[in-house]
Amino acid sequence: MVGRLSGASPDGTRRNALVEAVRYWADEHFSRGNWRLVLFCFIVLAPVLALFGYVRMGPIISSVILSFHKWDLINPIKPFIGWANYAELLEDENFWLSLKNTAIYALLTVAMSTLLAVPLAVFLAAKTKLSVVYQTIYFLPVITPMVPMSIAWKWIYDYNHGILNYVLSLVGIPSVAWLTDPGIALYALVIMGVWKVIGYNMILLLVGIRNIPSTYTEAAAIDGADGFQRFRYVTLPLLKPILLYVLVTSSINAFNVFTQVYVMTLGSQSAPGQAVRVLVFDIYQNAFQYFRFGYASSEAVMLTLIVLGFTLIQFRVARNKEGQDG
Amino acid sequence: MRTRKSKSVGIDRRAALKVAAGAGIAAAAGMAFSKRARAATTLNIWTGYPELVPYYKSVAEAYAKTKPDVTVNLLSSSLREMEQKLSAAIPTGTGPDIFDIGSGIAIKFIDAKLLDPNPADVETYLKSGAWNKFTVDWFTQGGKTYGLPLLEGRAQMFWNRAMFKEAGIADAPKTFGEIMESAKKLTKFDATGKMTRSGISMRLSGQGSGITEKFRFVLEPAGGTLLVKTASGKYHNGFDNDAGRKALQFYVDVVQKDKVDDPKVPHDADAFANGHTAMLFREAWVIGEIKKKNPNLDYGVAPIPRWDASGPVKGIIQPWGVHVNGRSKQKEASWDFLKFLTQPANAFQITNMTGWVSAREGVDWGPLLKQTPQFEVFVKPPKDIVLFSDPILPFWDEIQTRIADRLPGMFIDPALNGNPAKVAEAIKSLATICDNVLKQAGAYGTA
Repeated sequence: MVGRLSGASPDGTRRNALVEAVRYWADEHFSRGNWRLVLFCFIVLAPVLALFGYVRMGPIISSVILSFHKWDLINPIKPFIGWANYAELLEDENFWLSLKNTAIYALLTVAMSTLLAVPLAVFLAAKTKLSVVYQTIYFLPVITPMVPMSIAWKWIYDYNHGILNYVLSLVGIPSVAWLTDPGIALYALVIMGVWKVIGYNMILLLVGIRNIPSTYTEAAAIDGADGFQRFRYVTLPLLKPILLYVLVTSSINAFNVFTQVYVMTLGSQSAPGQAVRVLVFDIYQNAFQYFRFGYASSEAVMLTLIVLGFTLIQFRVARNKEGQDG
Repeated sequence: MRTRKSKSVGIDRRAALKVAAGAGIAAAAGMAFSKRARAATTLNIWTGYPELVPYYKSVAEAYAKTKPDVTVNLLSSSLREMEQKLSAAIPTGTGPDIFDIGSGIAIKFIDAKLLDPNPADVETYLKSGAWNKFTVDWFTQGGKTYGLPLLEGRAQMFWNRAMFKEAGIADAPKTFGEIMESAKKLTKFDATGKMTRSGISMRLSGQGSGITEKFRFVLEPAGGTLLVKTASGKYHNGFDNDAGRKALQFYVDVVQKDKVDDPKVPHDADAFANGHTAMLFREAWVIGEIKKKNPNLDYGVAPIPRWDASGPVKGIIQPWGVHVNGRSKQKEASWDFLKFLTQPANAFQITNMTGWVSAREGVDWGPLLKQTPQFEVFVKPPKDIVLFSDPILPFWDEIQTRIADRLPGMFIDPALNGNPAKVAEAIKSLATICDNVLKQAGAYGTA
């Protein structure tokens, strides 16, 4: 590189050397001679990147900084306290409870919504007259705003007048205290969470299935593979990138569950707060109710790291599987 | 000469035209300015009680008759949301001119010097005898007064006369023992054993400080209190004792042993207004709800009973104030509006229109009581009532909320049913939570 730099700088100035270095780097990392295109791409992307940095990265960095301070919303004195917020977090029962509840919620919601979305997508991939109608029906919950939806589910789950208990009573199942029973409330939220995201996952998987060239499945059929074998050995392996995307996005969304918990614990006829305490709710309470923004930020940082960790694990597992399959 | 004259005349004309034009522009600008100045005073008011909006509007209209240059803009949201909005807006200088808020948040603003002490004339007005000493003291911090009292929350016992009559009970219970006995007779179940009407509606589920606040309606008559202030000005829990255990036991018995309430049945004001419960501890605003939802309901309101015949009648009082933002650019106009807002005629209006009881003394409640006698115990509480209130501490809400996190689970925990040792253990755990918050705030002490 030094030779290239010195050779490519006729006047020997530092500025030209730098330009050459950038050019060399671009040539090395992108196709040779295309560095102008790369530069153009960066320039075009710059406004978006700047906006992203301001509205996304800025708050994240601020949260990390805040987490090392005793940062009360109202109090003007906000001293630096090092790792104290994180140390307190490790001894906070509410944090561990909310972490446990969030993990259960995320695991069940992601697993169920993915497992149910796959057969739905396979079923709807066959272009029948009603498949578009079904797709629309399944996708409707995705576009329904969360607050009115949560209020509607609060009514559905009502012990005395809820439609769910009414339907169960038709088959002889006694009424269930979906929201007020602490042992059931979290699972009631899982059901609602699955209902909310299953349509989104189904649509993604459906697109994935329809993009698989029919020649593969036709070849498998000629080789004597039945329907399940075609799905197991052709469709599923080719769906892996989409499945990975579904798992990653569903996990991130599930770990960020908040609105439905907030709505469903409001008022006297609602879920006991502790039974459905999740991480974002705990962050909200510490930040906006107790005004302990520093402490809440340390929780937010932990949540970010947990979600990041899960995402990396999912990528690693998927990559290893791909390697093994390959 | 002519030329000169003519020139001179020409100059004069131009000068005159210039002066006239200038005067015209100045006059027009002046008129516009004075018009703007007259309509320039806009007071922004934020309230955490949406039901107070019609009241504020009505007072603003009356005020505009005397001060036509003042207009009022209102913003309302739920109480918790308003606390959050104010907590973000006041320190950043983007808050309203006037806001109503509880003392738990007000004290934070005072500590952070975001609220100014009352001006001399407002302080004189506050101490003029228009409010009782308890209320004036409530608005005094470090020898200075902050804000003006608007309303006060007092909880009493609502009881359904028709249901009591049907169950053969002559009058409202006088002790907590009588509450339980009456509640047993008043509770109804269907053929499958499912509760269809609760004898008493307690706060058993959900989340938030309200659960603990309602727990105190039982704890205080039982002889306990949430926080005890020591001689040195520190605090520690006041319920890891017999009173605390009795209060929790009462709740456990209500749900599990005597089964007079159940988290699954409808609760609170709605349940009382719609005949789903026979008794309820709540504030006066429930009267307004009943007027709207079931105006023919036959009910009475009595003080929350004594724990037993020898105990005192305890009653919570929570004064609620209106404040002028320390960073408002219209402090003078804001204080003037607040003085108008708290006049006796408007004090009557707030209760008449919203059900919330005005904190002001010397209001003629006669017309209101003639129309709605249930207000009597709120506006003329018994003389022997022992008042208790929320300590004005920045971490008070956190203590109540953290205890509230645990209480619903305890009410329905089968291990606590008929097991005094487990009840004592549960109370101790709540006391530890309370003391930990105090320790964290540097306010814990026993001496």
